Formats: sequence, C-alpha cells, structure tokens
Amino acid sequence: MATDIANSQTVQGQPIAIGEPRWVRVTLISVALLFLGIFLVLPLIVVFTEAFKKGVEVYVQSIREPDAASAIRLTLIAAGIAVPLNLFFGVVAAWAIAKFQFPGKSFLITLIDLPFSVSPVISGLVYVLLFGLQGWLGPWLAEHDIKIIFAVPGIVLATIFVTFPFVARELIPLMQSQGSEEEEAARVLGAGGWQTFWRVTLPNIKWGLLYGVILCNARAMGEFGAVSVVSGHIRGMTNTLPLHAEILYNEYNSAAAFAVASLLTILTLVTMALKAAIDWKSQVEACEVRAIREQALAEA
Amino acid sequence: MSIEIRNISKTFGDFAALKDVSFKVETGELVALLGPSGSGKTSLLRIIAGIEVPDGHDGAILIHDEDTTAISFRDRRIGFVFQHYALFRHMTIFENVAFGLRVRPRRLRPSERVIKEKVNELLKLVQLDWLGDRLPSQLSGGQRQRIALARALAVEPSVLLLDEPFGSLDAKVRKELRQWLRRFHDELKITSVFVTHDQEEALEVADRVVLMNEGRVEQVGTPEEVYHHPANAFVYKFLGNVNLFHSRVEEGKVFLGELPIDLPAESAPQAKSALVFVRPHLLEIEHQRNGGDNFRARVTHINAAGPLVKVDLMTDWGAPVHVELSHGRYSSLGLKREDEVFVRPKERRVFVKAETGDESRNQSTSGGPRA
Amino acid sequence: MKRAFRSHSILPGFGLTMGFTVFYLSLIVLIPLGATFLKTFSAGWGHFWETVTGARALASYRLSIGASLLAAAINSVLGLLAAWVLVRYEFPGKRIVDALVDLPFALPTAVAGITLTAMFAGNGWIGSWLEPLGIKVAFTWLGVVVALTFIGLPFVVRTVQPVLQELDPEFEEAAATLGAGRWQSLKRVVYPELFSALLTGFALAFARAVGEYGSVIFISGNMPMKTEITPLLIVTKLSQYDYAGATALAVATLMMSFVLLFLINLLQWWSRARYA
Repeated sequence: MATDIANSQTVQGQPIAIGEPRWVRVTLISVALLFLGIFLVLPLIVVFTEAFKKGVEVYVQSIREPDAASAIRLTLIAAGIAVPLNLFFGVVAAWAIAKFQFPGKSFLITLIDLPFSVSPVISGLVYVLLFGLQGWLGPWLAEHDIKIIFAVPGIVLATIFVTFPFVARELIPLMQSQGSEEEEAARVLGAGGWQTFWRVTLPNIKWGLLYGVILCNARAMGEFGAVSVVSGHIRGMTNTLPLHAEILYNEYNSAAAFAVASLLTILTLVTMALKAAIDWKSQVEACEVRAIREQALAEA
Repeated sequence: MSIEIRNISKTFGDFAALKDVSFKVETGELVALLGPSGSGKTSLLRIIAGIEVPDGHDGAILIHDEDTTAISFRDRRIGFVFQHYALFRHMTIFENVAFGLRVRPRRLRPSERVIKEKVNELLKLVQLDWLGDRLPSQLSGGQRQRIALARALAVEPSVLLLDEPFGSLDAKVRKELRQWLRRFHDELKITSVFVTHDQEEALEVADRVVLMNEGRVEQVGTPEEVYHHPANAFVYKFLGNVNLFHSRVEEGKVFLGELPIDLPAESAPQAKSALVFVRPHLLEIEHQRNGGDNFRARVTHINAAGPLVKVDLMTDWGAPVHVELSHGRYSSLGLKREDEVFVRPKERRVFVKAETGDESRNQSTSGGPRA
Repeated sequence: MKRAFRSHSILPGFGLTMGFTVFYLSLIVLIPLGATFLKTFSAGWGHFWETVTGARALASYRLSIGASLLAAAINSVLGLLAAWVLVRYEFPGKRIVDALVDLPFALPTAVAGITLTAMFAGNGWIGSWLEPLGIKVAFTWLGVVVALTFIGLPFVVRTVQPVLQELDPEFEEAAATLGAGRWQSLKRVVYPELFSALLTGFALAFARAVGEYGSVIFISGNMPMKTEITPLLIVTKLSQYDYAGATALAVATLMMSFVLLFLINLLQWWSRARYA
C-alpha cells in the first residue's frame, strides 16, 4: 500500500506523480544508513574484531579458561531455571486473563508489565532488601546459613524477576484476539480441561509461545544490571557471562572481555534469526489459512 | 474545458488495466465511466487526474487541448473526490476545505479573510455550513462526501473527477445524493467525470456513458443510446435485466423452441451457436399459439408484490425465462402456477458466438419487433 | 443472588490459574516491592530526604534524566527518518537493515556497553576521528547520550513503522490534487498522522533510558558529580551497605519516571481525543 507511492515515481523524464525527487530520496537513504550503520552494523563488527585482536589462540583460551567456563555454567543454570518457570507462569497467567472476565484485570496486567518499567538495578535492589544481610529476612537466613544474595539462588531469582513478563506479554494479546470460541466449542463437544488446552489452545498459540520463550531466554542469559546487584562478583562462583565480561574489561583484559562478549553476541544473532524465522513461518501459515478459507467460500 | 483521452494504456505488473483507450468529454458534460470491477475505469480516472502515469509515450490526456503530462499538479486545476473521501482526519471541516487555498505559494495565496469567505460560500453550496468546526469523524458518510466535493471545488478546478462517489453509502442516501449531484452539476456546469459500477446510477445521472470492460471501451453514448442500442453482448448484459438464451444455429436460423429467428445479416456463415437476448418487459405471454411467433413454457413462480408482476417460467428445453408484466395484463391473463403458456418476444437481439467462443467480441445486432 | 467474582464461563481452570498467577506474582513481585517501600522509611524521613536531595544525587538526576530526554529526542528524529526510509524506499540490503533494528533490544547490555566504549574511545573506530575535531565522547556526558541513543533506537522505529505502513496513500494523493507541494503534503498531512506514534516511541525510549545501567556505565566514566548516572549511585550506596539510602534513591527515581510518564500519557490522551 504505502509502497505504491514509491512505485508511482516514474522514469524516462516523465513527471513524478507523487513522491520525493530522486536527490531527496538518495540523501535521506544515505543519512538513515549512516545512522543505522554506526549504531547497528558497526558494533557487531567491533565485537568480533576486538575479540580476535590478539589472535585466535587467545580467543579460544579466554573462553576455555575455568572462570569463563563456570560463568557459562551459571548463565545456563539461571536461564535453565528461569525460562521454564516463566513459560509456565506465562501460559497460566495468559489463560486466566484472556479466557475469563473479572475485575482488576488491568491492574494484574500492569503488575505483569512491571519489570519492564523498572530499572534493572532496582529489580536487583528489591531482592537485596528482602534477602540481604540487612534485609527483612536477612537475619533469619543468616541463622539458618542459607545464602541467597551473593550466591546462585539470588542470581536465579533476579533473573526470574526481569524475564517473567516475556512469555505472558506475548500470549495475552494473542489469546485475547483469538477469543474463547474454539475452547468453548471443544468443551461443548465433551473435551476435558486439559484436552481442551492441549488440542485446541496450544496449536493456536504455538508461534507466540515460541517467540516469547526465545525472547525470555535471550534476556535471561544477557541480563546484567539486576544480576550485578545481587551477585557479589565472586570470580568463578557468582559471575554470569555478562558479569565475567565486565570484570575482564575492568582489568583491561579487553581481548578476553570481547571474546566472552562475542559468545553473547552470537546468542543474540541466533535469537534474532529465530525471531525472523518464526515471523515468516507464522505469516506463511496465516496466508495458507486465509487461502483455504477463501477457497471454501468460493466453492460454497 | 474538454477532456480528450488519447491512446491510453496501463499495465500493473502483468495485469493490463487499460488497453489503448480513447474518447472525448465535451466541455460542461457529466460523463460516467461505467463497468465491472477490473474494467480499468478507476485507473483511467487516476491517469486523467495525474495520480497515475500511463505507459509509453503514445498516450496523452489533453485538457482543453493542452497536453497535461507536461503540467504539474498545481497548474492542472483538477478536482478529485476520492472513494473514501480522504478527508484529513486531524483538521476541522473548515480547515479541510480551506486546504487547497492555504497551500498555494505566497504570491497566489488569498488573504485569510478571503479564504474564510470562500470556504463558507462552498459550505453553503453543499448545504453544510453549520459543520465548519467539526472533525471528519463526527460526520456521516453522506456529509463527508459533500465536504470532499466542497474541498475539491475550493481550488476552482476546470475539471471535476469523482471515484465511485456513492459507493460506500447505503441505498437511500445514495439515491438522494445522486439527484443532488445532478442538480449541482446543472448549476455549476464544470466538466465532470465519475466512475461507477452501478448502471442505474450511471444511466440516471450522466449526460453520456462510457462503458468499459477489461481495459477497453465497449461503447460511448447517451443513456438512451446505450440502453436501447447496445453495441455488443457485454453492454446489453450489463445494463438492466436480460434473458439470455444459448441456442444452436440450424440452416441459417437460430431456434428458441419452435420459434425460428433470423441471424443478423453480417454474421459469419459458419456460426454454430448464438446468444439471444430479450429484456423481461419485452416478452408477451399468451394462452394460445396465435400464429406461432412464440415458444412454449410453463409458469413456475409469480411475484405480484411491486410495480410490475414478475413471472418466472421454464421452457420445454430447460431454459429459465423471466417476464415482467403490467398488473392489468396479468389480471386479464389470469395466470397461475403450472400453467402452460406461450411466450412471444416483442423485440430481441441476437449475438453470434465466434468459433473461439468469445461472445462479447464477435457481435452484431438484429431483431426488432416482428409483428 | 450472590454476584459472582467473574462472569460465568464453561472454560475450566479459572480458580487454579488465577490462584497460581496471584501466588507467583506475590512471590516474585509484590512481596519484594513491598519490602522496598517499607525499608525506605526504616531509617527515618530525614535520611530519606538528605539522600534524595544531596548534591551528588541531584547531579545524577540531571545526567540521567537530561541525557535520556536528549537521547529519546535524537531517536525521535533519526528514528522517524529510519522508519520512513525503510517503509517508503527500496535499496539493497534493506531487509537485513530492517531486521537489525531489533539489535539494541536483544543484545545484552554489558556487551553493548563495552562495544560502544571501544567504538567511541580515543583510539576507537569513531572516536579516533572525532577526537582530533575536539569532540570527546567516551567518559563524558556525551558518551552517556550515545549509549542511551543506542538503547532506545528500536522503540521509535518499531512504533512508527506499522503506522506508516498502514497509512492510506489517498491522503497524500488528495493533498497533491489540491495543489500542495511535496513538503507541504508531508508537513500538514502525513506528520500529524504519525505524531501519536512518535510520541509513544519517544516515551518508551525515554522510560528505558532513564533506568539503563549496563550499556552506560562503561562509556560514562562514572565520575561522581560529573558522569554518574542515578542507577550507578544506587549500586554504590548498596555496596556501602547504605540500604536505606539506596532505596531512597530508587523510590525517588520511580516517582520521577512515574510523573514524567504520566505527563506523556496525558499528552497522548489529548492528541487522541483531538482526532477521535
């Protein structure tokens, strides 16, 4: 639709119907590409050039060395716990919100959106206040020798907090727009609750679900601010990959820092590629459904 | 300001929207571009306006004998009313109508006072002067349509173009606005072209009608001309109700049951089949044979609720027939369902099907009252 | 008749799902947040006030809020341009660039932080030819603006793009037939249609920038009173075990963002009411 205007610009000396003169277009494209090039393309190039600055040997070593390995492990643990939990929560919350009417719905949705509007530092702060030495439960925890802050559980909790909206935020509008008709039809036909969910709801939301999980995972592995606050920065023990990169960088070991960063960047690029693939796949499916519907109507 | 369309062609990708279209609109005329969707009428209108550009260098649009391709929008002075009005949503009605005047370059721009006067004059002309401060979203469809017209007229165009002006309105409003547009045009006398797919509208409103189909002009003429003397099968079918009989040709004649009908003189001698067109109100129903200028049929349905009585029949070779009778004739016949009667065409058109089966291309007319 | 909490539905699981949702939210969100607010006032009103209005705090607000506004403004202008170019024009590599717009969203903030620093430092790709011109970016407030611009880039582009995509060409065609030049058409007809989306994008970019930590702390240099952002000040207080002080600042930040976002929401409501 909007590109019709672009296409109606003519060639061969005939007057342009509607649109900007060529020189304007070229200038605008150049400026935009310059801006986007500096902010989007260049950083990607820089990450990898800095990572390999001291050669491939150093690169591989930076990733293999024990502190890095334990950082990778911790990152995977945090994501491995946070993502499934938040996936479960997301589906459950979306079901409650999308399929039922009750007062206080928008308050609930606002609460779910909270981690998005709050600084990651504050997210971490909140847990320190609860579980830290001077916090509410601090003394009780110290008594029982349970370490949450400055230990792995704290990191996992902070990760859960900052990533829990992702799946819910994807599913709620999706399920709301799909309505409850199909589920109600299934129930009327005699399906039980579980069956209804598995056979009717799940196939309809599968792309949104996948999308939410991928975004949730990317954020879980890459989170910095919140985790930094609760972590204590103990090398080899309470550092996730982003924190490890920070430490290396502050020690002026920039090649190693960027080596670690490059791992995270690869994760990001894979995430973005998966996102694009899901977008494409779900659009193709939507087109197919539409085509089938139109054909059915035409034959009716 | 006459409009001459000369050899205009336009393709979108591999779809040929217009194929070498030519005709002329005289100064002060109200012309309708009539045809089904995909006939190219909107594309042609947009090319006249300058919003689209025709293919190649052979085609031209001449307004008042001047080639418009060399003229910029500002100087073309064409008023365009869009199908969905395209009123600027964030501007009041007043600002919408004033738009064309306010964007004029400094030296040509009238003072704000003059603009105010003109806008109010125009709003009064379309009978909506109390709506000046409203936003388009607060107006009904019919009101928006008239504002779109006022806006287009503000720049004093020499030519007015309307794209399906009543398309998105409901039936009653459509009829009212149709008459309103006719009277409006009679007052202003601006050369106008409007696009429509509604043949009733075109025949009722326009001075002349241009029938288009698949990118080509089928016929140009006054409403009477095109209705009573259609140039080909497409025109005949498109305008008004029609009964259509496919029949085989035998010994130079086409048969409707036992009724032989002469083929048109100019038709190809090897024609195998032909189409016979008869309008429902030009068929007579009789109880007796009476000379044999008729064919047999059985009454299947009668609908007497309306200004005319509509009778559906089935011929004995399985073709449905639709006849419209006056109430007087109907009661004098005393028709009932399942009656066996004789149907006589008072006037008909025969179109011969070419070997390739392209019925709308190969046409000739014949027939007239036989009696 | 007892009025049901929720309208009747034949779908099962309301009790279960609602219960779990509330439970999870309380555990993860409500209780910790509640603790925050309570803790703020445990050290008394005096300490709260002192921390929140101290010189170092004020300097940090100036930086955080000022730089965020500037970055969001830059993103509004350049983001609008980027959205326009991506929707209206064709050029080689367009689809890749379009996909890359999501990068600042997806990239871990620490990676963004060290990369931007490397780019804009004196010996970096960009820094190496800005510095001879006298423009120092890294370790100055300018660096903070650059980092926040990066972080907010997708917000404006992605909110404006769909609106631009769906914009009916008829408006521009109508303006052209009425004699408007291209610039007049864009200014008077197209821009007002995009304004609401621009405002939303601006608000989102601003909100994200104000709380941003990871992408900024590397390039800013973190000098107190000069290039210290508020989130960093909070972390510093925490590391000094001044929990109450840290919380005070956190609450102050939340309040400020709340007020600013409320104002922006008001602006959006006003502009929507105008067109509705």
